Amino acid sequence: MKTSFNFTAYLIYLPAVILLTWYVAHTLFKNSKVFMLDIFHGRTDIAFSTNKLFETGFYLLNLGFALVIMEITSEITDSRTMMEKLSSKIGGFCIYLGVMLFFNLYMFFRGKRKSKTRPLTPEPPVFTASR
Amino acid sequence: MNTLAYIIYLLVTYLITVHIGLVFYRNGRVYILGVLNNDERLTDFVNRILLVGYYLLNLGYAALMLNWWGTVTTWTGLLVSICRMTGRIMLGLAVMHFVNMGVIYLLSKRNQHFSHHK
Repeated sequence: MKTSFNFTAYLIYLPAVILLTWYVAHTLFKNSKVFMLDIFHGRTDIAFSTNKLFETGFYLLNLGFALVIMEITSEITDSRTMMEKLSSKIGGFCIYLGVMLFFNLYMFFRGKRKSKTRPLTPEPPVFTASR
Repeated sequence: MNTLAYIIYLLVTYLITVHIGLVFYRNGRVYILGVLNNDERLTDFVNRILLVGYYLLNLGYAALMLNWWGTVTTWTGLLVSICRMTGRIMLGLAVMHFVNMGVIYLLSKRNQHFSHHK
């Protein structure tokens, strides 16, 4: 019986996506504090709370998605197929992460703009479209 | 092998649920304070009730999922089934989280609206 490469593929895929998600979320939400402070007009407690909540949501959504799409249904029998399958999976996930990143950035800019036009509202309009 | 899968799955789900519950508990307080017009005692009460409700809902859901688990015979199958189930739980959590934030946002907007018109 030929050896199956599926398990090895999973063992490569999982650390890769977790590292990717961590890196993206870390970079995004380290720098988004400035936006949040701007949106909430310098009220640090609510700004950092919102930041943390969005960060958690980002992790949940993306890691959950990564885990759900992990399964490779076909049997992999050689290392070439494994490389191809893995790169298409990880590449697809990268593109998805990139889209999410830009979407988040867009929301931050939108929130900033809105809070500028209506300076008395303490809540960001970020919530409306981010589900 | 199913028993092993269940043990790992329940452990992972438990850790994720408790950790995220605590994060929400700590950071959601500011919002509930805003919605309830800075009533500290009521806020702490509501926050704790929300936390307990969240734990019950989530862990109960996680435990229910064991019913739909197919028979696991190989290590690959073990890994795949655990990851699929955990991923679903995480996606469910994310959706619930964003819906929650949306509801709190709408509530605070309504409050503002009212206080604006008074």
